[in-house]
Amino acid sequence: MPGESVHPSYIRVLLTFMRNSLVRDMSFRSNFVIESVASTSWVFMNLGFYLLIFRYTNEIGAGSGWGKYEFFVFLSTTMFINSIIEALFMPNAQEFSELIRTGNLDFALLKPIDTQFLVSCRRCDWSSLANWLVGGSLLVYSLRQLTARAENPLQIHPLAFVLYPFFIVCGVAILYSLMISLSASSVWLGRNQTLYNFWFYITNFSRYPMEIYGGTYGTPLRAVFTFVIPVLIVVNVPARWMAWPFDVARSGPLSLFAVAATLASLMFSRWVFLRALESYRSASS
Amino acid sequence: MLATRCLSRPPRLGLQVGRTVGAGGSVERMPIIEIERLCKSYQVYQKKEGLWASVRGLFRREYRQVEAVRGIDLTVEQGEFVAFLGPNGAGKTTTLKLLSGVIHPTSGTARVMGHVPWKRENAYRRRFALVMGQKNQLWWDLPAQESFRLHQQIYRIPTSSFHQTLDELCQLLDVKNLLNQPVRELSLGERMKMELIAALLHAPEVLFLDEPTIGLDVVAQHNIQHFLRTYQQTKQITILLTSHYMKDVLALCKRLVIIAQGQICYDGSLTGIIDRFSTDKVVTLLFGGDRLPSQWEPLGRVLEVVGPKVKLRVERQRVAQVLASLLADYSIEDVSVEDPPLEEVIADAFNQVSRTSVPGAPLDRIVPGTRV
Amino acid sequence: MHARVQQWWVVYRIALEERLVYRGDFALGTLMRFLPIVTQIFLWWAVFDAMRHESADASETIAGYSYANFIAYYLLTMLGRAFSSMPGLASGIAQQIRNGEIKKFLIQPVDLIGFLLLNRMAHKTAYYSVALGPFALVYFLCQSYFPPMPDAGTWGAFGLSLILAFVLGFFLEASIGLIAFWFLEVSSLLFVYMLLSFFLSGHMFPLDMLPYPWSTIVDFLPLKYLAYFPSAVFLGKVTGRELVISLWVEVIWVVALMVLCRVMWNRGLARYSGYGG
Repeated sequence: MPGESVHPSYIRVLLTFMRNSLVRDMSFRSNFVIESVASTSWVFMNLGFYLLIFRYTNEIGAGSGWGKYEFFVFLSTTMFINSIIEALFMPNAQEFSELIRTGNLDFALLKPIDTQFLVSCRRCDWSSLANWLVGGSLLVYSLRQLTARAENPLQIHPLAFVLYPFFIVCGVAILYSLMISLSASSVWLGRNQTLYNFWFYITNFSRYPMEIYGGTYGTPLRAVFTFVIPVLIVVNVPARWMAWPFDVARSGPLSLFAVAATLASLMFSRWVFLRALESYRSASS
Repeated sequence: MLATRCLSRPPRLGLQVGRTVGAGGSVERMPIIEIERLCKSYQVYQKKEGLWASVRGLFRREYRQVEAVRGIDLTVEQGEFVAFLGPNGAGKTTTLKLLSGVIHPTSGTARVMGHVPWKRENAYRRRFALVMGQKNQLWWDLPAQESFRLHQQIYRIPTSSFHQTLDELCQLLDVKNLLNQPVRELSLGERMKMELIAALLHAPEVLFLDEPTIGLDVVAQHNIQHFLRTYQQTKQITILLTSHYMKDVLALCKRLVIIAQGQICYDGSLTGIIDRFSTDKVVTLLFGGDRLPSQWEPLGRVLEVVGPKVKLRVERQRVAQVLASLLADYSIEDVSVEDPPLEEVIADAFNQVSRTSVPGAPLDRIVPGTRV
Repeated sequence: MHARVQQWWVVYRIALEERLVYRGDFALGTLMRFLPIVTQIFLWWAVFDAMRHESADASETIAGYSYANFIAYYLLTMLGRAFSSMPGLASGIAQQIRNGEIKKFLIQPVDLIGFLLLNRMAHKTAYYSVALGPFALVYFLCQSYFPPMPDAGTWGAFGLSLILAFVLGFFLEASIGLIAFWFLEVSSLLFVYMLLSFFLSGHMFPLDMLPYPWSTIVDFLPLKYLAYFPSAVFLGKVTGRELVISLWVEVIWVVALMVLCRVMWNRGLARYSGYGG
């Protein structure tokens, strides 16, 4: 095949995946509605919990900079990142372990396309994107409160509108790497329920401002989840750029680190994935 | 020893289409699949019975070594339609998976169209396809059409040739009207046809078929066989097929490879296998008079007696002698000497192979105390 | 009777063995269960920290809970959840109904609910046998957060509330699973239940924190017995007459759900065999 590319157009394959998923979701419409409602109500319940907390305090961590509305910006950032992960990668990561267990990964391996791409993007759960609406509304509402407050109103720097989405993408990439590495490890560990729990517990750390991890136990914990398993920077870095006054000296170093951590995570997950494929045994029938 | 029973490869059958290679226009046959000393072994966790064994299993596990493929050598040329036969667990499917690059071998080499399969290069993966009767790759809840479109994107098939191929395949398989029905609503036979279309859309040069007719009714089986034969003959692609159904093999393949216990124990033509493994012939006699031999045992094994017609199974070397003595002593109106049915011969072959495996060297050995 | 007991014993033992086979899963799972608590500890530390700075009153409490109380509360809800949570129970029942596996209970002389209860007990036993170590270790390390040893009566009520939490959790989830006899797709219903139980059982925060209309609603639901109640009993938040009444209410809930389960099972089976399925 002279001159002809052996690589498919990844964008078009991705669009076909998303289209097929939508067609599928739409053929189970009532289920789709229920799922959207369910995932949105989860988000609302979480919001309720923090409203409850802010009945008793004005800030999370003394002098941490996370007052009620700053924290709600943080929370909406969490929602954005989580809903992207849940929509694009969660169903695939779960299915990946299932593919390994049943031996159906065979088909993915046959295709002339990057296997990690194929396995990571096959399905798209559109109903999880409903949380974008909640996250978006909360973000707008909180930012209006912050910019309109009488005392020390927030001024949003134009660059924040660039940095915020950029670091959200970095955060998604870090979580994706963690998730795909975990589900790839079911090649060696077998069942995947624990992996799913592990994922939930680890990302649990990412859902709070990193300032709360202080003191004798908190500081090393913070170091581990920043530098070893970098889940703490996933939400914290983008949220800082949006919720706090624009301050390069304060948020810059951590942001640079976040870029490096994103690249390292992606490379690590690639390595784990390829190792897993080598150990794949292809269960018969 | 098992190895001593394996035949050296018989001469190639004359039907392959040669490929022009090199200068001077000399026609050479080019091997499209070359396998040398291919081995694959697995470790399988041994679950022990009993509560305490389970508790111990928490800390210390025993693994069993399973040698699925034990040194296979095979060469297939372009345009051949080869059948892999063998009892369950013989290593047929494992061999196909090795050739499609799904798993890595423990040792040995293989090349398909010049590629090492388990490198999984895109260039290779665009040129072959694997169809497994037991697994499906189409999106369960979507019409097959959507899965095909996805294949078009993945294999980067130009739209015009995609539609042309799809039309052609749909016509051959008669499934045009089912394209827009969700796959889960199709019958098993229809689903298999769709799987075949999905596999053939990118016009693979090599096709691996693993039990493509498993679980299908006779009509569906026949349809698939017919399609495969037509398709292979017109496109002259190379096909490796594993099947349990002898009918598939008889209908489709000229070359037969018998695998048992991870090794090839026969590789040759359909007719060759009868010479190789069948020691008997079936002799049918029609007696003229009323007098029939009172004792059959010295002659052969009686298969059936219908009036004056007798079917005997006679050792091959003794056929002439038995016939001579019968013709001398009785009046016989008609005689025919045939080979026994292929199914029986192959069943015999499997049996011979498993009987001759060396008792002192078990295939599976326990590897205790392996820690993980 | 003897044969019955023996049959139960075999069921229990096989289920226990099955659980122990998946060792990697098991060890990791137990370890991970404590991780969410860690974030809660830090979150509440940050909240109390900010409160101290705001009012400079060192003896600050939220809804009657000091910082130490909060941590003890979360640690104790872990124990409550270890008894009351039934992962996969309802969905398992629903699946069996959907794929027709339930039929074997029509033929075999085994009662599904009894069978599942034994199975669950085996799961729990296997879990506790491994989890005992981590639990003891964590409680030992965090002993400074716990109030001084409660008296024997409180201990008794605590133990009782845990056992009741197990039975209540079991019958609650089993009846949700049995709904599948009438509506095949219960997974979304299950999600709603999970969601409600996560917040309203007190797993996420002490229910005393809730303001007026919610606090009353929660009081009328059985969910609070799954996590909040045992912890509150241990911490001495529920005492005397109130304790006795609450325990009785819990018993009534258990009995009611047990009866509900039985009725649903019988009706469901009748409906099922009526279809000739």
